[in-house]
Amino acid sequence: MEYSAENLVPFGPVHPSLKEPEYFRLVLEGEKIVEVTPRIGYVHRGIERAAQDRTWVKNIYLFERICGICSFAHSLAYTEGVESLTEFEIPSRAKYIRLVIAELERIHSHLLWLGLIGYWTGFDSLFMWIWKDREHVLDLLEAITGNRVHKSYSTFGGVRKDLPPGIEAKLMEEMMFIRNRVTYYEQLVKSEETLIARTHGVGKISQETALRLSPVGPLLRCTGIARDIRSEDPYAAYGEIPPVVMTSTAGDIESLLTIRLAEVMDSCRMIVDAIRSMPSGPTKVPFPRIVPAGEAMYHVEAPRGELFYFIHSTGAAKPERVKIRTPTLANLLTAVEMLKGRPLADVPVVLTGMDPCFGCMDRVAVFDVDKSKEWYVTGEQLKKLGIEYYGKRERE
Amino acid sequence: MSDQELDSIATDLSGKVVKIKKSLLLIVDRSKVHEACERVYRLPGLYHLVTITGMDTGKSILLYYHFWKGKSFTTVSTEVPKSDPRLPSISDSVPAALLYEAEVKDMFGVTFEGNPRMASKLLLPDSYPLGAPPPLTKEADPEKIRKMMELE
Amino acid sequence: MSLKSWARKKSIWVFDVNAASCNGCDIEILDSLTPRYDIERLGVVLVPSPRHADVLLVTGTVNAMMKERLKTIYEQMPEPKKVVAVGACALGGGVYKGCYNVGHGVDKVIPVDLYIPGCPPRPESIIYGIMKLVSGEPPDPKEG
Repeated sequence: MEYSAENLVPFGPVHPSLKEPEYFRLVLEGEKIVEVTPRIGYVHRGIERAAQDRTWVKNIYLFERICGICSFAHSLAYTEGVESLTEFEIPSRAKYIRLVIAELERIHSHLLWLGLIGYWTGFDSLFMWIWKDREHVLDLLEAITGNRVHKSYSTFGGVRKDLPPGIEAKLMEEMMFIRNRVTYYEQLVKSEETLIARTHGVGKISQETALRLSPVGPLLRCTGIARDIRSEDPYAAYGEIPPVVMTSTAGDIESLLTIRLAEVMDSCRMIVDAIRSMPSGPTKVPFPRIVPAGEAMYHVEAPRGELFYFIHSTGAAKPERVKIRTPTLANLLTAVEMLKGRPLADVPVVLTGMDPCFGCMDRVAVFDVDKSKEWYVTGEQLKKLGIEYYGKRERE
Repeated sequence: MSDQELDSIATDLSGKVVKIKKSLLLIVDRSKVHEACERVYRLPGLYHLVTITGMDTGKSILLYYHFWKGKSFTTVSTEVPKSDPRLPSISDSVPAALLYEAEVKDMFGVTFEGNPRMASKLLLPDSYPLGAPPPLTKEADPEKIRKMMELE
Repeated sequence: MSLKSWARKKSIWVFDVNAASCNGCDIEILDSLTPRYDIERLGVVLVPSPRHADVLLVTGTVNAMMKERLKTIYEQMPEPKKVVAVGACALGGGVYKGCYNVGHGVDKVIPVDLYIPGCPPRPESIIYGIMKLVSGEPPDPKEG
């Protein structure tokens, strides 16, 4: 395809606001983006190869460090995937506790994301308030598992240790607190002019695009397709405490905001239900040292979407092959579609909107073919560009 | 999706259906894999390509195309010899396969003819040594690759 | 102490680089900005460009793609500059030691002045480390 006055905007790879580095090559026509080529691999560490050199148990610690935000989802998918290769019955109490931790992680991840949306739209106070509230969730995770981020809590046969005594009352109290705060944020999102201008109708995708490109998670649900692995293929205790699948038909970033906030409220409900109906009993059963031969395909609903593990065992002490497909890779093509036709000012919000587990922006080189001049724009300037662009539109 | 529909695809393409716990595995020859994936993808109901997995068996690369339909997995499987690791790309009928095929190409060296991303790398660094075997094959030695890329 | 070094001590500008990490350390660094830990009350500010920074925080395993970029960022920083390696991966590869694409520590690429261990280190450790670095006193591992 031939473009006139083509502006190439390489985007990346080091971000000023501390997320993972990646690189997006944008082609502009006038003000609108017409083509996006992602080049990932800046965080490639060779984990699938490393998994073949480590024993089954050591791999739990390796896989949970794939991502610092959804680390429990990784360890859950791996441990339950390996457990499905055997005929062992995992104790009920362990399944309920796994559900509680997975939902706590969902809450912390969605709040983190909302804070970042606030940051990129210039709403620094929202970022600070939400991250302060998020600390309550991290405190709970630390009280139960011992660590704020890499919990190493799910293990073969159950969970590593039982809930500490008295945590149930604290959980109920904190869920009440989170619910109050999220109710406030839901009203804020509906009424705050700057947020609405930056997200309403931005990055709109249709259901056809979604069916064609197979995104996962909230990005799929915002187009109206009601699919959630927790209800379609229940794992842990989701069979007994099913989630309410949140959808929207708008397909834009604003609908992602409402869906994720609604999911946080639903997670609070599920945690309260799980605590109320928590069965007693052991939290771990002895698990064989040698994993039987076989192939397992297992997927869980991580905060960002479907996380898939393929595990091939030959009965040896180390796995033969573990394949991991993270939700962000599945959403990448859809995020590229969301950017097409949008002005440059929308890039930070749209790329954050897909909730990437890699960040993307710092040095942006804009090359204007007509004037044969090249200049650099930093991430902060891009953030200001976005605020100015939308501020100007409001005044018109 | 019922067993009969998959069985009829298998008969048409001279493949084999294997049942593993709840999921179904359709094994076809590599010349038929494009048609098999297309027909499985177009079956009624929400068919979603989960990912494409590669596995090194020693002499060949085994490929799994995982599809999900709301209740169980259906996997299409084929094999390519290491001496001639080529396959037609399915990204014309299943657009989501674009990046998954690029990943298999990086990790195993399998070329998917028709995929526009075959010339560029997806995950591997630009400095990945040209002569080195792809990282997930049995011939690849992480220590040697590190030395070649000058990583201490 | 001269006016210049007093002023430098009171206001430290920090640039963070994620050199192929899982994001855990970066989120904890960002957490130290938020109201509960609030590193800004101590005069520490996160800047968007290495040309304005006094201290460089590096997280992650420094893989093959990020190695050259890390060196470029280090060279762009004006003197006097300090480098802090945050987290087990930046110290010596962390849990990824032996993988084909990762380096074994930031100090193999650029000189490091302070190491903050942890996977990930708590925001309190990060604040303690940066404060000790700037004041010039050696940190006490039992306290941090």
